[in-house]
Parts: sequence; structure tokens; C-alpha cells
Amino acid sequence: MLLLIVQLVILSVLVGALTLWGYYFPYPSPLIRRWLPPRKRWPEAQIRHWLELGGFQQAFLNYFYRDPERTPPPGNIILAPADGLVTSAELRDGVRYLVIALSFWDMHVQRSPATGTVIKVETKGKDFMDGEGREFAFLREKPCPVQKRVVIATEYGEISVRLITSLAARRIEIWVRDGESVTRGQRIGRILLGSTVVLELPATLNLSVLIGGRVTAGETIVAQELSLV
Amino acid sequence: MNSFWWASGHLGWGVFALTVFTCIWWLLFDLCWRLLTIRIVRLLALMAIGWMLSISFILLGFYVAGW
Repeated sequence: MLLLIVQLVILSVLVGALTLWGYYFPYPSPLIRRWLPPRKRWPEAQIRHWLELGGFQQAFLNYFYRDPERTPPPGNIILAPADGLVTSAELRDGVRYLVIALSFWDMHVQRSPATGTVIKVETKGKDFMDGEGREFAFLREKPCPVQKRVVIATEYGEISVRLITSLAARRIEIWVRDGESVTRGQRIGRILLGSTVVLELPATLNLSVLIGGRVTAGETIVAQELSLV
Repeated sequence: MNSFWWASGHLGWGVFALTVFTCIWWLLFDLCWRLLTIRIVRLLALMAIGWMLSISFILLGFYVAGW
């Protein structure tokens, strides 16, 4: 009798595991999530489904809100303000623009690219939008997505970090104020649920990252003075 | 009823082993499918071959040991 009970318990556990698998399919069951990398643990389709519902799995939120310590490398260098993928690097009207696209799985805390003083924090845009070119919409006479721009006076000149929303990412938190001193790698804000960060640099700085490269906030060197290169 | 299906007041070890192994194999297949970048047809074929081989060993063991 005892053997039968043990057997039935084992079979019940397995039936439970299969039920969970069926309930969560095509997304991973909670039993195997721990062994999957983040992109497979929470597939994009599942996150977009949560966005429609307006609710998220707590484990995903814990992962999304992570804020690890970063160690800025020494030297007169400009650091990446965000984790993500470099999708564009352009020189327009004397300003170097470095566009960093953040995915749902990237760490979303933005950091100051250089030491300096915050001159102003601007809020621009009215709508939330997706699509190509939205990161440079502010340069055109088109309505641009809701965004915040932190302008920092540094020894290299004015540097701006532009946090841009998307349809999925509609909230931006800025943690610095006008006149506040910031150090390289200091946390300056957070953009919620994946979007774009544009770094605006003086033309005298030379970019040291390539399009398609991944950068890490507060650690990856993205630009240096021309004289040092 | 022979001891494959039922034996002395509990499920037979043969059917118990087959059921447990098949469930675990199915869950393992799902994990492999998510972790590996492999064509689904190839993975299905590999997992099916693995399942048949393992089941054969279980049945052979059951037959040889006479559980």
C-alpha cells in the first residue's frame, strides 16, 4: 500500500508538471524558467501580451527593475548612458548623436556619461510612437515622442542624454535636478520597458563604438577627445 | 494481470517506469527546444529516437530482470 501511495505521489507531481507546461505553452513553464536565458524566459510575445493586459509577472518585474553596481573605467572618456544596442551614430549640425536602443531585457537605469553639472532637464513631445526614425523626430518639424533631455555641462562642452519613450515604454523617471553635480557613471534616471536613449556630444569628441555594438551603462567607453585618439 | 501493469498492491514497475520516463522526457524535450538553436524536425527526430531507445531498455530490463 505504501509503495502505491509513493507511486501515486510521484505520478501526481509529474501530472502537475505537465499541466503547468500545457497551461503556459507556448511560453515556458515556471518549472524550467530558471534554466533559460532572459530572452527565452520571457519571450517578446509574452511581454507584449502583458503590456496589453496591463499586468506583469512578478519575476519579470524583479528582473526588469534590477540596478547593478557599475565601475566606471578611469580616464578622460565618455561612458555609455544606457545598456543596449548602438543603432545609429551620426554627426548632424555640429552634434554627434549616438542612438542606443534598449530592449525589454536590458537594464533600464541610465547613467551620466561624464562628470559635470546638470544645466537643465527638459520634457518634450506629446505622443507615444514606434517606428523607424522616431529617435531623430526631434530634429525635424514633426511631432516627436514623449522624451526627457538631461543637459550636462562638462569639461568637453554640453552633453545631453535624451530618454525617449515608445508605445511600450511610456514612463521616464529622472533622478537629477537643475544645478546638481553629477559624476561619471552616476545614476540619472530610468526609462521603463525598453525604448531609446540618444547621447548628444560635441563634434570635438570622437566616437569609439560601432553601429551594432552592445554598450553597458557607466562602463563602456563610447567617445574620447580627438586629441587623445 | 501480470506484474508489468500491477503487482502486489501497487502499480507494476514496468508501467510506472514507462510513465515517469515519458513525462520527464517530454519536459526535457520542451527545455531542449527552448535552449537549443536546432530545427524542430531534427530535434523531434532525435528525441523520438532517444525515447524509443530508452523505452526499449526499460522493457528489456523488465523482461530480463522479470520485475
